Amino acid sequence: MLRHTLERLLLAVPVLFGVLLLGFFLMQVVPTDPAIVRAGPTASMEVIEAIRQELGLNEPLWKQFFIYIGRLLQGDLGVSIINNVPVTQELGTTIGPTLELMLASLIWAIPLGIAMGTVGAYYRGTFLDRIIMAASVAGVSIPVFFLGLTLIWFLGFQYQLLPFTGRPGPIWTWEGFKAVIMPAITLGGVFVGPVARMTRSSVLDVLGADHVRTARAKGLPERTVVSRHALRNALVPVVTLIGLQIGFLLGGAVVTETVFSWPGIGRLAVGAILSSDLPMAQGTIIVLSLGFILVNLAVDVLYAVLDPRVRGA
Amino acid sequence: MSKALKSLLIAGAAALTVGSMPASAQQGNALTILRVIDADKYDPIRSTATAAAEIVYMLADTLVSIDFDMKTIKPLLAKSWTISEDGKTYTFKLRDDVKFCDGRPMKAEDVVYSLKRWTDPASKSPVSFRGGPVKDIKATDDYTVVYELKEPYADLMFQLGLSFASIIDKASVEKLGENFGVQGFNATGPYCWVSWTPRQDFVMKKNPHYAWGPEIYKNPKPQVEQIVWRVIPEQNTLMAAMQAKQADATYYMPYIAIDTISRVPGMKVQQQKNYIYDAFMGFKVDKPVVKDEAIRKAVNMATNKDAIAKAVYFGKGAPMQSLLNPSVLDYDAKSASLMPKFDPAAAAKLLDEAGWKPGSDGIREKDGQKATFTVYGLRNAVNPRISEAMQADLRKIGIDMKIQLWDATVGWGKLATQEFDAFYMSYPYVTANEALNLYFRSTQTPTPNRMNWKNEKTDQLLATATTATDDNTRKGANAAVQQQLTDASVWVPLVSEPMWLVTGDRVEGAKPHGVYGAGLYKGLDITLKR
Repeated sequence: MLRHTLERLLLAVPVLFGVLLLGFFLMQVVPTDPAIVRAGPTASMEVIEAIRQELGLNEPLWKQFFIYIGRLLQGDLGVSIINNVPVTQELGTTIGPTLELMLASLIWAIPLGIAMGTVGAYYRGTFLDRIIMAASVAGVSIPVFFLGLTLIWFLGFQYQLLPFTGRPGPIWTWEGFKAVIMPAITLGGVFVGPVARMTRSSVLDVLGADHVRTARAKGLPERTVVSRHALRNALVPVVTLIGLQIGFLLGGAVVTETVFSWPGIGRLAVGAILSSDLPMAQGTIIVLSLGFILVNLAVDVLYAVLDPRVRGA
Repeated sequence: MSKALKSLLIAGAAALTVGSMPASAQQGNALTILRVIDADKYDPIRSTATAAAEIVYMLADTLVSIDFDMKTIKPLLAKSWTISEDGKTYTFKLRDDVKFCDGRPMKAEDVVYSLKRWTDPASKSPVSFRGGPVKDIKATDDYTVVYELKEPYADLMFQLGLSFASIIDKASVEKLGENFGVQGFNATGPYCWVSWTPRQDFVMKKNPHYAWGPEIYKNPKPQVEQIVWRVIPEQNTLMAAMQAKQADATYYMPYIAIDTISRVPGMKVQQQKNYIYDAFMGFKVDKPVVKDEAIRKAVNMATNKDAIAKAVYFGKGAPMQSLLNPSVLDYDAKSASLMPKFDPAAAAKLLDEAGWKPGSDGIREKDGQKATFTVYGLRNAVNPRISEAMQADLRKIGIDMKIQLWDATVGWGKLATQEFDAFYMSYPYVTANEALNLYFRSTQTPTPNRMNWKNEKTDQLLATATTATDDNTRKGANAAVQQQLTDASVWVPLVSEPMWLVTGDRVEGAKPHGVYGAGLYKGLDITLKR
């Protein structure tokens, strides 16, 4: 088990280096000049050149990359070229709201998705199953921004039940809790569908398996058969899917955070890219990809917990 | 569903509903203003963004203020001033009752420090040039400042009214260093810095000492205890937030929503008619095809600006019938009369006469050269539709306009190149002289003079206007430049972008101002009903 975890951890290192390399050079490929962006539309060439010098943008690219990696190894992600704030500080203040939002989304979306999928599989072919599947298809198909704006329209504007302009405080405060409801429904909404569909097909497979028939033959109650014998075995592919979906959730968070003015890392990334703030953009890329890698690592480990056969493989 | 679960759900829903009744940010004596973008920093000399100006104007004061008509200079920190006959020495008498947010009285040395910091080339500020050819700025006593120029500079008083020339506290700048305007700020504005959470909220509170507001307001003291500037990047959310009373004011309402919002009971919509923010298309006058004046003129005549104002700005923008905005100081009505009117038939005739004959594909040709050109612009809310409308208009007279719009990330870089033939832009300005000097002086190539307009006569006239010591000379020279540029069709002026201030039902006394995009300027006269 430990060996399995260590192997996965070691494999994450070259992936992270690849991300760094790609992140750095992709930002360089964009035909933009941060000095021009910072100087504004009315600046003369002399002013732009002075800013370029100040930012060290005239150094050769390879040199810039190695300076960057060297600093990174010391935990220094640089400072924003726009407002001079250390990147780590900005990341520190924005990661919390994003994690809160993801937690608030997953905490209801995963159980609901699994429950919907299990019920759908158990009542396969019935009206209830069709309703559940229709809802999950809708969940998969509705774009995040559309769901967000629709919620704002009904819950925020028509009935004025919930606030939707930012994050007044952490989610364990009353104001913060109210503010996270709509973004969490929006972000979680796109999550429920895939989880429900995967759970349904997986449970369906397992319900037809020999061990389930045996369990029934033993006279176990249906609830025990489904929850203990079918669902647990059906969860292995669902866990993999959840891991992958959390990666997409990070993408969805960028849109959700924009629609609801949620001050998370997604909005930071968009802002940094739009203002050509290279250190900040690279910092957000590192954190987002690190998140993705860690989630996949956790999925790998969890996989081994759920399925003992994986451990030896 | 079990009874217990049912009761729990009902109780939860009720708690949410009751708890969220004041979910609106409208609480107490705090005014919430919504905007769509944050600035990079709030150091007056470090950011050219209008999103910075709208905050800095409330945190800090300038020597003089600009009236709602955008033409009249009124006293602010300077209670009076004299200008020497040669136009090179400005002497300002300062008010003696002004205090910084930290309570320290403002003296002449603060003004000297701030203005030197702004104008000194060593500060590498993108706005230093606005201070003119400074020889020296000095204090002769605690309340007198002398601003000496190497040569006269007609625009100085207006430039001194812009947020870039704000008076700030030296100690605060030195203490915070690069973080001045990022982590804190001390100045003499009606409101004081409380906190800034980038891309989220900027919070300011009333300056308790403030009683020197400019006379353009009825009450020189701020009435609102706190102002929260909240960034809502998504315009639909912003619209819903205003209607759901989660905020009190905004001047970033999408044009499409203005009529709808004005019908909502309690909402007030006001237009600042003198708002100066114009959209235009400029030509690179040394590029093939568009170097021909006939082409440029024909483009001007074939573009249906009324239709653009109606379709793209939902009737909320004013079609530009002149090079510069009619509200601006030194606007020349005569050159406006020289601007060719919308007349596609006459445009086609003009091209015929200039030798541009229709080819087999309907596109005109002359000496083997097709009448085609490429326009660049930023992919913003209006450029895609403006460019498509113009493309259709020009196609009718046999000109093929190729459109290339760029994301803001790369757009400004692209607009600094020589790759294109024409470009779209919109900009704020305060005087005709400022706009003309900025965009048409030969020394301003390649940016912001992206037209590559290098003309000796223009340079001479602008030098005359800029160094004029009397109004008539300045006005005359600026008028001559406007006529010359109108005649040469260097720009296709498109639409004057309007400013609409939307306020909620508990706001009273708010009036749109709009200098350099600052819709609420000093934020005075505003009171909250509850």
